[in-house]
Amino acid sequence: MNQFTAGIVPSAAAIAQLTCKVSDFLQEAGVDARAVHHVGLVIDEILTNLATHGGNNCAQATVVIDVHADHIAAEIADHGRPFDPRVPASVDPEAPAEEREFGGLGLHLVQQLTSALHYRHDGDRNRTTFCIARTQERKKG
Amino acid sequence: MDLSEQQVGRVWVVTARGRLDATTSNMFAQKIDALVTGSEPRLLVDFADVDFVSSAGLRAVLMLVKKVKSLKGTLALCAVQAPVREVLDITGFAGMIDIHAERMAALAALS
Repeated sequence: MNQFTAGIVPSAAAIAQLTCKVSDFLQEAGVDARAVHHVGLVIDEILTNLATHGGNNCAQATVVIDVHADHIAAEIADHGRPFDPRVPASVDPEAPAEEREFGGLGLHLVQQLTSALHYRHDGDRNRTTFCIARTQERKKG
Repeated sequence: MDLSEQQVGRVWVVTARGRLDATTSNMFAQKIDALVTGSEPRLLVDFADVDFVSSAGLRAVLMLVKKVKSLKGTLALCAVQAPVREVLDITGFAGMIDIHAERMAALAALS
C-alpha cells in the first residue's frame, strides 16, 4: 500500500499546488485517470470549503491518502469550524441554466463522487474521510 | 491555465489548456466574457487539454452560459476528457451546454 501525507495552510494557490502533488503521486502509483482526477477534485473542494468557511483556526490541515488495490482512501483533518460534508447540497442538476444557482456545486461533487463519506468532530478537530473506487484495467492476453 | 482564441467564421474558438480551478476561473471567465458580444454570440471552448475542473471552474462556466443564453447565443465545448465529462454530467452541466466529441463536428454544428 502506498501512502501520501501532506500538511497545508489552505489558500487557493496552496490547494492547487497540493492537488497537483496528489495527482502526481496517484499517477506514479498506477491509479487510473478517473480516480486521479476525482480524488484531487474532492480534496480541492473540501479544502476550499475550509479556506472559505473554516474560520481563523484552520491554519493547518493534514491530508492522508492510501492507495488500495481497488480503491483510494483519504482523510482530511483540520481545526476549522465543524462542518459535515454530508449535509444535503442545494443543487438541482435538472434545472435550466437560467434558474441555476452558483452555490452548492462543490458539496454536490463531493457527495456524488465518493463512497464511504464520513465525518466526525473529535475535540477541536474535524476528520473527513472518503473512498473513491479505482477502475481496474483489463489485462491483455 | 493557458487560453488562446481564434475566429472561425462566426464562431469564436477558445483553446484552453491546464486546470480550471479557483486559481484560474476568474481569468477564464474574464477572457471568454470579452468575446461574448453582440446578438447571438457563438463560442466553442476546446477542452482537449483541460485536465482538471473544480466547482470554481464550473461557476465560471455557468456565468458564461447564463450570459450567452441571455443574448440568445450558443456556448459549446468539445473534446472533453472523460473525468471532466463525468463532472459535467453529474452536475447537470452536460444538459445546459452542447458538448461535441471533437472540434470539427462542433464547428459544423455552430456554423
